[in-house]
Amino acid sequence: MGRDSAIGMIEVEGVAAAIVGADAACKSADVRLMGWESIGGYTTAFFSGSISDVAAALHNGEEAAKSVIEHVVAAPLSQPEPACRNFVTFPVRTDVEPREGALGLVETRGYSVHVHTNDQMVKTAAVEVINVLTVHDRVVCSLVLGDVGAVNEAIAVARDELADYEHLMATALIPQPRPEVLAAYGVPTGGGGV
Amino acid sequence: MSNGSIGILETRGMASLMAATDAMLKSAEVRVCGRHGIGAGWLTVVIEGQVAAVQTAIKVGEAEANRSGELISSWVVPRAETLALGAMPHGGGLGAGQVGPRAIGLLETQGLTPLVVGADAMVKSANVELGGWAFIGGTLCHVPVFGDVAAVQTAVEVGRKAAERIGEVYATLVLPQPISGLGPLLPAPPSAEACATGALGLIETIGYATVVRSADAMIKAADVRVERLNIGSGGRITALATGQLDDVQAAVAAGVDVIDVDDHLDASTVVSRPDPELMACFAGVVEGVREVGAPRRAMGLLETRSTVALVRAVDQMLKSANVEYEGSYKVGYYLTATIIRGDVGAVRVAIDAGRQEAVKHGELVSAYVIPQLYGGIDGCLPHV
Repeated sequence: MGRDSAIGMIEVEGVAAAIVGADAACKSADVRLMGWESIGGYTTAFFSGSISDVAAALHNGEEAAKSVIEHVVAAPLSQPEPACRNFVTFPVRTDVEPREGALGLVETRGYSVHVHTNDQMVKTAAVEVINVLTVHDRVVCSLVLGDVGAVNEAIAVARDELADYEHLMATALIPQPRPEVLAAYGVPTGGGGV
Repeated sequence: MSNGSIGILETRGMASLMAATDAMLKSAEVRVCGRHGIGAGWLTVVIEGQVAAVQTAIKVGEAEANRSGELISSWVVPRAETLALGAMPHGGGLGAGQVGPRAIGLLETQGLTPLVVGADAMVKSANVELGGWAFIGGTLCHVPVFGDVAAVQTAVEVGRKAAERIGEVYATLVLPQPISGLGPLLPAPPSAEACATGALGLIETIGYATVVRSADAMIKAADVRVERLNIGSGGRITALATGQLDDVQAAVAAGVDVIDVDDHLDASTVVSRPDPELMACFAGVVEGVREVGAPRRAMGLLETRSTVALVRAVDQMLKSANVEYEGSYKVGYYLTATIIRGDVGAVRVAIDAGRQEAVKHGELVSAYVIPQLYGGIDGCLPHV
């Protein structure tokens, strides 16, 4: 068994923390992002690599995810049975143009505030809303892309707009996201709602 | 999307959203350009038009939604930015439901069982037509009916009373003169053929593993057919069985009896002589299920509220005994289930190992072994 002898999984409430965790994991060791799974409120990022790479990636990914949200469960699988790979419902897309730029995340419970804050972010800073993920139990996460300064500004605007909104869950900035993270989470898939 | 203005209104429950949207569309020159549900019953409608019209409409919509106490939030976005809104999911999935000159009635319940009972009472009590059904999360489901005003009023009143006898009614609504722009909010109309049957039995459980076990018990206990499994929401899933009244009663009793964890059973009931239209609406056979011969092997089911726990358990199960992975299924609301197959001894060992592994990482909801699944249900379950 070569480099794919282990799988790492990071499960979080919502999706923003999983994106941050997946990015940190991919940067900290030689692991390959496989994609992610959503079960209606929790999402899980999957990546594979050698046993020691997965262990290192999990450690850093879990730390990073915990800086975003409280509920994080991380675990490795050594020499996984092939069936374990079936649980990746949203694989990393290979059919899309790679994107560049800093990634900003705004996660809340509630959809309508995103229509408003996304509009405000785009009007205030040079960012583009590349995707809005709905992962059930009311969790909605907007992904904006731009240069670091613009994304920083956009997140400040969103935090300001949402200062009195009781269902704000998390905001995060990834200055240089890995391309596979954008290919897994940054492409609209349609649906996701009920 | 041009730089027109848009308005957004988010409420809990379809009755509230529909009443508010009807009022908005009647108050000003605006149209529905999207809807999106995000679970737990939270629904958003997006309208567009000139800024003054959108402002007026949103004010009216807020007032209407506040009347039912279900408003979550609302906004007016003047000159909406394409870069902000192009990627948002509300534009897709708009229903093409037709709203004619007829009145609309809506019954909204917690769970599917009271909805089916209420819908049956509605079509039997007055000259109304069922318009399909939908779930929106948080256990909420709704069914619209169409007809003349008096018929719709009667049907909704009778339907509410019938549904209340066995469960919770969340809301009802009668729109005597609905505006035609409401179409996109309605569920898809029933696509199955109307059919008559002696009785319809329902068992609604929390989680997929429990409903499979219950459906197997139903079909073994009496001469019934399990027509399909319908996901409600909030983790609910319902098995619908048909047959003669005696058989269905015996089957439902057996299916309930096998549920040994009390809070996994949400509701059960028997509808005798269900209206043929009801069957078309709720019990149409699912397209694309696999009709295969029974493998006559034991089935193991394990369900958790964590992907990490489930995947770890699957790995352990496959390593601990000579069993095969058959598939997995998600009913929503944090639930995720998996199915394995093998000889009964091997499945028992595997499920034990899986159970022990799952509890280390998350909440275990259920773990069952069905030594021999009945042929009538084997191969037509929805997991893949």
